[in-house]
Amino acid sequence: MNANPTFAAASAQPGTTAPAAISITGLNKHYGAFHVLRDINLQVASGEIVVLCGPSGSGKSTLIRCINHLEQHTSGQIHVNGTLLTSRAEDVASVRRQLGMVFQSFNLFPHMTVLDNCTFALRLALKMSAKEAECTAREYLEKVRVIEQAAKFPTQLSGGQQQRVAIARALCLQPRIMLFDEPTSALDPESVGSVLRIMEDLAQTGITMICVTHEMGFARRVADRCVFMEGGQIIEEALAETFFTAPASDRLKNFIDQVL
Amino acid sequence: MPLAGFVQQLGIGALMTIQVAVCAYLLALAIGTMFALATVRPRSLANIVWLPYASIFTGVPSLLVAFLFYYGGSEIVISLMAIVGIKAKVEVTPFAAAVAAIGMVYGAYLADLIRSAIHNVPRGQFEAARVLLIPAPMIWLRVIMPQVLRLALPGMTNMWIVVLKDTALVSLIGLKEIMAYAKLASGVTKEPFIYYLLASAFFLGMTWLTYFVAGNLETWAGQGSRRAKIRGKAHAL
Amino acid sequence: MHFDMQVAWDSLPKLLAGLGNTFTVLVPVLILGLLFAIPVALGRLKPGARSLPATIYVSVFRGVPSLVLLYLIYSGLPQFPIVRDTFLWTFFSNPYFCAWLGLALTHSGFMAEIIRGALAAIPPGTIEAAQTLGLTPRQILFRLRLPMAARYALKAYQNELLIMVKSTSAVSAITIIDLTAAANTVFDYTYDPFTPLLTAAAIYWCITNAIRLGCSAADRKFNRHLVRQ
Repeated sequence: MNANPTFAAASAQPGTTAPAAISITGLNKHYGAFHVLRDINLQVASGEIVVLCGPSGSGKSTLIRCINHLEQHTSGQIHVNGTLLTSRAEDVASVRRQLGMVFQSFNLFPHMTVLDNCTFALRLALKMSAKEAECTAREYLEKVRVIEQAAKFPTQLSGGQQQRVAIARALCLQPRIMLFDEPTSALDPESVGSVLRIMEDLAQTGITMICVTHEMGFARRVADRCVFMEGGQIIEEALAETFFTAPASDRLKNFIDQVL
Repeated sequence: MPLAGFVQQLGIGALMTIQVAVCAYLLALAIGTMFALATVRPRSLANIVWLPYASIFTGVPSLLVAFLFYYGGSEIVISLMAIVGIKAKVEVTPFAAAVAAIGMVYGAYLADLIRSAIHNVPRGQFEAARVLLIPAPMIWLRVIMPQVLRLALPGMTNMWIVVLKDTALVSLIGLKEIMAYAKLASGVTKEPFIYYLLASAFFLGMTWLTYFVAGNLETWAGQGSRRAKIRGKAHAL
Repeated sequence: MHFDMQVAWDSLPKLLAGLGNTFTVLVPVLILGLLFAIPVALGRLKPGARSLPATIYVSVFRGVPSLVLLYLIYSGLPQFPIVRDTFLWTFFSNPYFCAWLGLALTHSGFMAEIIRGALAAIPPGTIEAAQTLGLTPRQILFRLRLPMAARYALKAYQNELLIMVKSTSAVSAITIIDLTAAANTVFDYTYDPFTPLLTAAAIYWCITNAIRLGCSAADRKFNRHLVRQ
């Protein structure tokens, strides 16, 4: 995959601390009386690959959905590339412009072809011309290796192919940060591999990535940093190597034993 | 202000409306169940009768069918009896014409509904019953039809309301039910609004009552099956 | 039971005139009904008590027979001076206006539920995806939700359309000579009940089947993305 030009510039500045791509401070979220996220503090640097893991119900999906305002946080602050996320429409739009999201259930538009799925937002949100949009879409569909399926409908593709289309669709808007919410949890084992390969290729381009996943092998190979969450809190945060070889907390030790 | 006498007449008319609706619905249920059972298999012979029947009775307004039965009903019955060899002279009343028309039209809709419910009973039910050596009539009576009832109930409830409302329309053939009395009262008192408003209230009241009873019926019929959590009301009435 | 071809042929002009009136009533009703229904459907989707006005609207107009509504509007409203003595009279004295209003209100009650059901059937994940792709709520409603809802609603709309065509026979009660009423007038002077009524029935049958064919074609075109069992 070609290096993302936006990032070649940013990461080539030695000696300067680049502003954090994502900065979360004192984040709390309640669902009614239920305290789902408790005082989350997380900084993600530009170009960093962060994996969020933990047992079900630990709040990892909720956290990632708060970042692009699919869920509204109750207190605390989220900054995306310097922009503070408020509930004002302009701020939400500005933040979402910089984020791409891939969902567990793909969420492709079923009544549009693969190509149309990708060009839809390019034409409507970025106001590209139809020709330009098609060009960009084809480029990314080729990168995720589903270009032959461009004229087909999502229901005609396998799960793995659909998820790769979803990744291409998000990448078409050239976001600076990609969010992945359990991208392979709904896939059969064969398809998981094809999607993870694309994500690994993507990680090489220098784009910032935050992944919620159960694929610990992937995390170990690709992540810069891993974050373990349980019960709505960040229990432990470490560089990938240390995370797996020398977990500090007992809970993380138990989790790794169970999963690996 | 509505005069008590006329309101009483509206009440009598309302009773007639309910009578027509109930008889028509029962007829529709009978016709529908018969056709549904006969056409359960996709390529059954009964389709020779069913397909034209369904096409005609769902393609034509029930009012037209009612007019046909009312004005031409006696001739139809006489010809049918003649085929069998009976010499009969029959007068078709508006009541009979209305019940026959609505019954035959909605029988076609109910047949589709019931057949679809039968197809939605899991095949395993038939297989389990057969393997347990239960005789065929008992399978249908005690295993299948109760489940069909549970599946078809929401549709059947809707159909009852449609039948009730269609009865109002069919009153135009001269049936003395609530609409006719409302029109009469309007003509005499020159105050049509209140009487038609009362008629509306009657129909709305019947619809709410229906949904109330249907709710309880659905609970009774659904004994033993897990209810999917429906947030809010499943229908708008 | 008999059918007289000559009478059928002679009565055709009158019947076709009646058919014309049926369509004159039907087409505006379909358009108006749809227009009224969209805001009501969106109102029904509002959370909590804010959906109450829309819920009441749907309850009333689905629960009251269209004939009663027609009488209420055509005979009942003129009872009040505000309707009789003002400019409103030009509208309410016209039976077509009353027919359009009354049938459109009924139709919109059912359409609102159809649209609401179809909008609710859209997987929420697709809407979230559209949000993350940066589309505005307006774009999402008009370019994604309504087109998707239309596809889900096709079967239900076909049923409602067929019912509406047949409901138009109610307008004979407020002096409009539609196809059914025309058949009755022919019967009045030929004393033959079967021929005109059967001919009218045949015409209705042709129309309903044309609608069924049209909807099947639309279904094949717009729902070709679905995997058929």
